[in-house]
Amino acid sequence: MSTPEGVTISRTGEAGAFGGELLTVNFGPHHPSTHGVLRLIVDLDGEQVRSVKPVIGYLHTGIEKQMEALRWQQGVVVTDRHDYLSPPINNLAYALAVEKLLGVDVPPRANALRVIMSELTRLSSHLVWMGTSGLELGAMSMLMYCFRERDTILDMNEEISGFRMHTSYIRPGGVMADATPRFLEMLEAFIRAMPGHVDEYEELLTMNPIWRSRTIGIGRLSAEDAKVLGATGPMLRGSGVAWDLRRAIPYSGYEDYDFEVATSDLCDCYGRYLVRIKEMRESVKILRQALDRLPDGPVNVDDRKILPPPREELETSMEAVIHHFKLFTEGYSVPPGDVYVAVESGRGENGCYVVSDGTHKPRRVKFRSASFVNLQALERMALNHMIADMIAIIGTADAVLGDVDR
Amino acid sequence: MGIEALAESLGQNILTTTLGKLVGWGRGNSVWPAQFGLACCAIEMIATATAGVDIARFGSEAFRASPRQSDLMIVSGRVSQKMAPILRTVYDQMPEPKWVISMGACASTGGVFNNYALLQGVDKIVPVDVYIPGCPPRPEDLLNALMILQERIKAQGITPRQ
Amino acid sequence: MISENLILDRGVSAGDAWMTVDPADIRQALSTLKDGGYRLLVFLTCVDHLVDASRSFPARYELVYELRDMDRPEHLRVRAFVDGDPPRIDSVHDLFPPANWEERETYDMFGVVFNDHPDLTRILMPDDWVGHPLRRDYPVGGEVVEFSEEHEIWQTAPDKA
Repeated sequence: MSTPEGVTISRTGEAGAFGGELLTVNFGPHHPSTHGVLRLIVDLDGEQVRSVKPVIGYLHTGIEKQMEALRWQQGVVVTDRHDYLSPPINNLAYALAVEKLLGVDVPPRANALRVIMSELTRLSSHLVWMGTSGLELGAMSMLMYCFRERDTILDMNEEISGFRMHTSYIRPGGVMADATPRFLEMLEAFIRAMPGHVDEYEELLTMNPIWRSRTIGIGRLSAEDAKVLGATGPMLRGSGVAWDLRRAIPYSGYEDYDFEVATSDLCDCYGRYLVRIKEMRESVKILRQALDRLPDGPVNVDDRKILPPPREELETSMEAVIHHFKLFTEGYSVPPGDVYVAVESGRGENGCYVVSDGTHKPRRVKFRSASFVNLQALERMALNHMIADMIAIIGTADAVLGDVDR
Repeated sequence: MGIEALAESLGQNILTTTLGKLVGWGRGNSVWPAQFGLACCAIEMIATATAGVDIARFGSEAFRASPRQSDLMIVSGRVSQKMAPILRTVYDQMPEPKWVISMGACASTGGVFNNYALLQGVDKIVPVDVYIPGCPPRPEDLLNALMILQERIKAQGITPRQ
Repeated sequence: MISENLILDRGVSAGDAWMTVDPADIRQALSTLKDGGYRLLVFLTCVDHLVDASRSFPARYELVYELRDMDRPEHLRVRAFVDGDPPRIDSVHDLFPPANWEERETYDMFGVVFNDHPDLTRILMPDDWVGHPLRRDYPVGGEVVEFSEEHEIWQTAPDKA
């Protein structure tokens, strides 16, 4: 590293365009506006950004190594924690990959519940994004409004899985448990109330002159650049490219739902904000359809080699006890091979590449995280902007550092 | 003036106490945390500051961006080997007296991640006053920890940690 | 679209099409594929096949390039097997910009050296870290958990590895 740890400002000796010297400023990793433990080394000409170099790894958790040491069904717990704003979507990517290797298909009710949890998660992820980005750009009340609805979603998570954030609800072979009647009631009430709440956020921000002047025209990323840089999610759709994995490569029955892919041609921070607002409305639409058409039936595959037998069976069947014992002492093994499955998270393409060597633990699990790739676009987006605008750009890139560093 | 007359004229307006208790009372009710979010628990820490739970009821809503203005460091999340020296630097920059809450299983013990990348417990580099279990703990848990810490601060008097 | 003599092997794994190319031809193969429509590098990673008895592999390190054609949409996985200490392969950061950080990560985690990479330094681990954590002969590390199934093999070793 050229800049030593602890030095926050140094002169480069190069002359800037405004008669001064270029300054190298160190942002972070402990900095209130960098959205997590992100460190940026910025070359400044006056207040203009001449170059940005993100330094990452401050939240490197060794998740991929950890998963190699855990059995297939234990790994679900770890997947929750890399992109900590969308745990069920991470579960889904991993579960789909393992299921594809095992060659099993989950029942329709499980698919519908997976869609419901994914959309709830997308909503809560966008809510956290909007709350914290609003806070960073001076709209403190956004935080209060957004976290109010987020808490409702977390209460629903708790009702269905027993855990607020890291639900581990979606597992290879199905889901953890069937939805309780109370969960469905809460979901119904939430679906009724949410469009009104989205209107509230729009009233607070969409025509807000401060918000508009801080985001319109800031952090431009053309459609061609976004594609070349591999950006996905609202970053790509905010540049006018209608690419959504739910539509392009459907999974978990997304092809049966009627929704629009939100895009914006503005290509700037404001465009990304509009995309997220639109996505929240579309998510509510998907939730409505999923709840109305929620099929009956089992929520797990009927395969004793993958999932434990139901509690009643344990009391009557010797075979069930053996399966139960085998599953919790040794786990199941997955046929050798490798597979890549991508799902659309709140941030973009959240993929899981799994390699099996035929044993009861994975040989390699690689998470293709949207934030890691999207953050690389920061260097291009922040160029020639004021340093204060960089905060808006980092904010709308919505990089979750746990996802970047894994 | 006799002592009875003095007591009568002052009425209910004066309390007698020790200076230590007074300082402890003041410190305990205005603990300013450093804004030090690391991972998942940081989101729940933010949730603690919002209207639903409202940490302001306990005088700790002022999350300071600078460690030099804060009394309390809430280590909210997993601490990687790369982050550990920075965390220690931030702790060293905080003025005495200072306290540390280790929020969540990862900060307290490494949590589910028993591997090369993470510090197995933040108490290896900074002294911890209150540990919160949970992954992540609920906002109410953080409030509870704050109340425990307040009781402790109030009991410590003028010179905590001699 | 890609000339057959570049392809050493091809197949389908759990529904995903893949092909193996010679590591010396990786740039040529990927640039041909890029011109043929696979313009997005979804991810780049490495798999360490140390003592993997389930199948036979030509070399220890397998580099995986997942490509996507966004218009059709279609995936293609390109593999290249490399050996050596350190294993070496040509960088593709100029063909696919997202590969820049992915190659740094692969270098950090597996010690694979990418020739002509502009800034091949550690990205996730501290700069002074010793070893490449995702190699199979690198211990998981952490602290020993008593009575756990891994009790004997989990050692506190990051600083000694």
